[in-house]
Amino acid sequence: MAEKLSWTDLRRILAKRAGVSEKEANAFLSALTDELVVALKEDKQVKINGLGMFKLQAVAPRKSVNVVTGEEFTIEGYNKMVFVPEAGVKELIEGLEGGNESVDPIKKLDTQAEEIVDILGELGQSPKEEAAAEPAPEAPAPEPEPVFVAPAPEPEPVYVAPAPEPEPVYVAPAPAPEPAPEPFVFTSTPKKEEKKKKEHHFLRDVLICVIILLLLLCCAYFFLREQLGGLIDSFLTNKPDSEIVVPADTTSQVIAEPVDEAYQPANMEAEELTEEQILAEFLEASGDLEDAETPEDQIYEDLITIEPMHEASRLAWMAKRFYGAKIYWPYLYDANKDHITNPCLIEVGTPIRVPRLTPAQKDTTNAQTMATLERLRLEGEAACGH
Amino acid sequence: MLTKDLIGRIAEKTGQSKKQVELLLNTNNAILRESLMAGKTVQLQGFGALEIKERAPRTIVHPRTGERTVSPGKNQVVFRPAVNIKDELKKF
Repeated sequence: MAEKLSWTDLRRILAKRAGVSEKEANAFLSALTDELVVALKEDKQVKINGLGMFKLQAVAPRKSVNVVTGEEFTIEGYNKMVFVPEAGVKELIEGLEGGNESVDPIKKLDTQAEEIVDILGELGQSPKEEAAAEPAPEAPAPEPEPVFVAPAPEPEPVYVAPAPEPEPVYVAPAPAPEPAPEPFVFTSTPKKEEKKKKEHHFLRDVLICVIILLLLLCCAYFFLREQLGGLIDSFLTNKPDSEIVVPADTTSQVIAEPVDEAYQPANMEAEELTEEQILAEFLEASGDLEDAETPEDQIYEDLITIEPMHEASRLAWMAKRFYGAKIYWPYLYDANKDHITNPCLIEVGTPIRVPRLTPAQKDTTNAQTMATLERLRLEGEAACGH
Repeated sequence: MLTKDLIGRIAEKTGQSKKQVELLLNTNNAILRESLMAGKTVQLQGFGALEIKERAPRTIVHPRTGERTVSPGKNQVVFRPAVNIKDELKKF
C-alpha cells in the first residue's frame, strides 16, 4: 500500500502512452494542477470526466472552549478540498480488496468472516448479559434502603430495653413491638396528610355552603323586603299600629274596587244561600206583578226564563243573547222595572225576568214597536241618570 | 467547471491543441485510475495526492428493525491536498 506513483513516474508514463515528449507531458500536468486550483477558486468545483470531481467544501465556523482557561472562542470557518470519484471509478476502486495482492484478500475474507462471527457472537450475548446485569443492580437497590432504615429504629429500643428491665424474657418481646410502630409512623404520615387534606376539603366545603346560604338569604331579603316590610314594621311598632295598617290596606282595596266590595258580600249570600229561594219567591210574586204590570203598557205573555244577574253582565247583552240584538234591552228593563231602579247598575244575583217577545214586538220595521222601544229606552236611560 | 472548460484553459496556457490536451487528460485519467485501482497513491506535485484508504468491515444496526449486519470493508479514494494549496484555499 505504500507504493506511490510519483510525479516523475506519472510524467514518464503519460509521455509514453500519449506519444508526446516528457516536457510536453510535464507542461500539461503542471498546467492541469494550476488550472485546477484556479478553477476551484472560481467555481468551487471542477469536474474531470473519467476521474471524478474536485470540490471546495465550506466548513462553518463553530464555537469551542479553551480547555485550559475555559474561555470560549470561535473556530473560524474554512474551505476544505474534497475529491469525489466518478461512480464507475468509485465502484472499481471500492471493489478492490487489498489492491494488487490477489491471494491475500481471500485469506483476509476468511479471517474477516471468523472475526465477524466472533463479533456477532459477542453482540448476541452482550445484550443478554446486559439485560441480566441491569435487573440485578435494580433489584438490590430498593432492598438496602429498607434494610438501612429498619436497623436504625431497632437498635434504639434494644439499647433502652435492657437498661430498665431486669427480666429479659418478658421484656425482650416488648422492644419488638416498639420498632413496629415506628414503621407505622412512616406509613401513617401519608394518612395524616390525607386526614389534613380531608379536613381542608371539609372546611372548604363548609365555607362554600355558608357563603351560598348567606347569598340566598340576601336574595330572599331583597325579594321579600317589600312583602315583609309591613310585618317588620308591625314588629318594630306597637300592635295597634299594625291593626291600623291592615284596615288601611283593606280600605284602599275598597276604594280601588268599590263596586265589587259593595256587592260581593251580598252576592255571595244571595247566590249561595238564597238564590233558589229568591227565585222561587220571585216566581210566586211575579204572577201578581205581571198582573199589575200588564194593564200599564206592555203585555208579556210568556216568560222564557228568570235568570239571576251575573257579574259583568248587562241587560243589553242578555237582550242579544235571548233576542238576537242589543236594541231590545228596554223590554228587559220594562219587564223588571218593578224591582230595578237603575238599569245601568243592577245588583248581581237580582233575578231578571226574560219575557218572550212577539214577532210584532221584534219587528224593527214597525214604527209602533220602534216608538215603544224608544220610549222604554229613554225611560231606562233616565233611570240610569244619563 | 466542466472538463471542456478545463481543456480549453489548459490548451490556452500550454499552447497545445485542445485535442492533444484532451488526449493527454484522458490518458492521465487512465493512468490515475489504474494506479488507484492497484492501490497506489498518486502524487500530483503542487496540488495534492489521491490516496486509497482501506475501510474495515463493521457491524451496522438497522435503525428501524434493530437488525445487525456486517458492512463489508472497502477501499476509498481520498484526496489529500498539498499544504500550500490547502492553506491557499482555506481562507479563500
